[in-house]
Amino acid sequence: MASNVYTSPALTFELLARCSTTRARASNLILPHGPVQLPMFMPVATQASLKGLTPEQLEETNCQLCLNNTYHLGLKPGQEVLDTIGGAHKLQGWNRNILTDSGGFQMVSLLKLATITEEGVRFLSPHDGSPMLLTPEHSMSLQNSIGSDIMMQLDDVLVTTSPDHARMRLAMERSVRWLDRCIAAHKNPDRQNLFCIIQGGLDLEMRRECCREMVARDTPGIAIGGLSGGEAKEEFCEVVEACTALLPDLKPRYVMGIGFPEDLVVSVALGADMFDCVWPTRTARFGAAITRHGVYNMRNAKYAKDFGVIEEGCGCKCCRPKSEGGLGVTRAFIHHNASKETVSAHLLTIHNVWYQLNLMREVRESILADRFPEYIKEFFGNLYADPKDYPSWAVEALRRVNVDLTA
Amino acid sequence: MTQGDGSCEHSDMASQRIFKILSAAVGDGTSARLGQLALPGRKLVETPNFTSVASRGAVPHLTPDNVTRHTDLSSTYMALEDFIEKPNAAIYEIEGEGEDSRPLHAFTAFPKEIPTILAARRCPAVTAPSGNTSKLLAIFTSTGFRSISIAEYAEAARKLKPDVVVGPADLLHSSQAPAAKKQLRMTERTEDWLDQFLGLLKAGTRTDSNVSESCIFAPLIPVEWKIQWAYLRHLAEEVLDDVSGLAVYDVNLMPELSAFKFGHLPKLSLDPPRNPQGILRQVSLGIDICLVPFVNNVSDAGVALTFSFPAPKIATGIQPLGTNMWSLEHQTSLAPLVESCTCYACQKHHRAFVNHLLNAKEMLGWTLLQIHNHHVLTEFFKGIREALAQGPEEFEALAQEFATVYDSEIPAGTGERPRARGYHFKSEHHQEKYNPRTWQDLNSNSNSGAEGTEKPHEVARPDGQPPA
Repeated sequence: MASNVYTSPALTFELLARCSTTRARASNLILPHGPVQLPMFMPVATQASLKGLTPEQLEETNCQLCLNNTYHLGLKPGQEVLDTIGGAHKLQGWNRNILTDSGGFQMVSLLKLATITEEGVRFLSPHDGSPMLLTPEHSMSLQNSIGSDIMMQLDDVLVTTSPDHARMRLAMERSVRWLDRCIAAHKNPDRQNLFCIIQGGLDLEMRRECCREMVARDTPGIAIGGLSGGEAKEEFCEVVEACTALLPDLKPRYVMGIGFPEDLVVSVALGADMFDCVWPTRTARFGAAITRHGVYNMRNAKYAKDFGVIEEGCGCKCCRPKSEGGLGVTRAFIHHNASKETVSAHLLTIHNVWYQLNLMREVRESILADRFPEYIKEFFGNLYADPKDYPSWAVEALRRVNVDLTA
Repeated sequence: MTQGDGSCEHSDMASQRIFKILSAAVGDGTSARLGQLALPGRKLVETPNFTSVASRGAVPHLTPDNVTRHTDLSSTYMALEDFIEKPNAAIYEIEGEGEDSRPLHAFTAFPKEIPTILAARRCPAVTAPSGNTSKLLAIFTSTGFRSISIAEYAEAARKLKPDVVVGPADLLHSSQAPAAKKQLRMTERTEDWLDQFLGLLKAGTRTDSNVSESCIFAPLIPVEWKIQWAYLRHLAEEVLDDVSGLAVYDVNLMPELSAFKFGHLPKLSLDPPRNPQGILRQVSLGIDICLVPFVNNVSDAGVALTFSFPAPKIATGIQPLGTNMWSLEHQTSLAPLVESCTCYACQKHHRAFVNHLLNAKEMLGWTLLQIHNHHVLTEFFKGIREALAQGPEEFEALAQEFATVYDSEIPAGTGERPRARGYHFKSEHHQEKYNPRTWQDLNSNSNSGAEGTEKPHEVARPDGQPPA
């Protein structure tokens, strides 16, 4: 076997190139529903639908992998329905890859009163208030029913900013124990990949310890979890950096819940490959367009008579010239219907998802051409008119991987 | 008086450029007929047909690419009031691009091949409490009521260049049966307004433009025909050359039109039918294009239309016009919304997905239903045209059969509809809630009574006295 390829029953990972300056990598991942190119952003179709887009419209953004949420699908349409239908691909008419989270994060983010014990997460059903228990076994069973190409282990998620060190250690160690239970309960390792999730809050030693434990269990992919919960960006970068240093080269590395363009670019430089976040699609519904020059609020009155495209030079269906099959959608029309007709939200969702995926595509191309450091500089140069405005956390994190933004 | 399609006598008239009658039972245009509406630069509209109803320039829930790919809309109705919150509205400033681009199309990014029909108001429109005045038309924008002059409306039409523009009409929205005196005033006003409108558009015609001018449809208002007889005669004898069609706000007027030379004109109904039986009646009365707002409502309600024309030959009781997709029975059904339907939603997805999307309040549910329901209407009209090709008797027989096979009410959806916006309706006294309340006061379970959670002041006092 070639030294740059890792295979497991349901996944092949091929490392194509490494940046000669930073820790960035470009690779190919072959999953049960087709190949995907890393680094990659994965949009979130929470309830088996990407916020108003048809599966074909999502395909047109070049999306190869989208997320579904185990927690949401477990409630609606429910496991029995999923089993009868034959899984989430069939439910939503999506023939490309699906990644599902374990449901653990929603327990914490959506439910005020979830009690976490060694057995699992206990919570009250939002439907009828009846007590429910989500265990690692149940999470696996649900994700097996969903049939996702990548499943996530149930982890004990704690806000990273929690000051309770003992609880943090318990959560980290429990997540390792739960991984063992998930591996034991996973019914389809031949066609569904189970990824572990590294916990440990902002304590780098604890993170390293968790990395060693998780890596030893040899899952086909590895996620860094528990971030994006309000911690300082500096601390976020340190955690990603500390983890990627210990992770095997030939496995995909997924940083969960990351979506701001700067975060993506810096995380890639720190050695991460996969990201997901609801922000691009959620912000679209609020009327915000993501562009290489920053985020524009299309509801602002200054766009009322702006007959330009959402972002000049963008290749999405909304922005590209009509001669190339574009729709001829103007900022003025988006403004006209923002938060008034759902069509505006759909159009911005198409644009924003395209933007995020295209950003990662450009990052990948620059890594393959070994000009990623130059790309990073262009990226920040486009985003901020004045280098003085570059966020210090990004400057510092990039400096540690040998890129000096200020030079 | 010459009647009939008049293909020779009226060859220089505006209408002759756009509308061709392929068949007619009687020549006066007051019975079902086949035709073709050819608007410059757009696809040919086979009639009878329906026009979809846009809201703020978009067919609700359908992005322009989905309209192109998944529907076969003949035309789309847009209301000027959806675009002009302010007098200096943005839409007035956009330039169409290319040789045959029209600003209304350019602003809404509407698919190029589909013609637009512009009227001043949405249909049905929200009642303007102050009503129209002799010079001003009351409209309802997303920021509230305002009035526009006929000159402003004419200027809007001249600038936006819709394919068809409906002349200004003095419609009473508050009263279903206005007094005769009021009806007369509506008629006189509409006549004045139309003359003014036609004059302004004629004067404003730019000869340097590549884009052809909008075709003007004259309004026929819901006023007893005897009262508006003078207006009808004015239309037929004085301004006929300047109008390309009629916009009929009350289809009951149709039989009376045989007394005038309107046979050659395409007739657009702006009298919303309640159900497909209503559509068949309009077609039977000689309507060429029906505005069908109920499609959007039905999709929002979570209902998939199921009817077809001719009605299927089955003898198992009254057939429903639609299926409530909220119903639990669809939860695991991999069947299409309608068996053998060729629309995108039925070919690519299934009932279980639509049911899930509605339950989860995911917007794609409404998108799929819009695609399906518009497809059902497109096929329905295709069926009507095929029957008419067999002859008017065949059509009338099938229309009667349709009425015996199908229920007359479209089933109601049992779930929540998409959020309603300010421009959709104006809340009125005692108006029912559009959606049931989702948020409830934590401590208001007073009806259950079991826990004694009545308001504190209603609790009996310890001294045995009744509550204060």
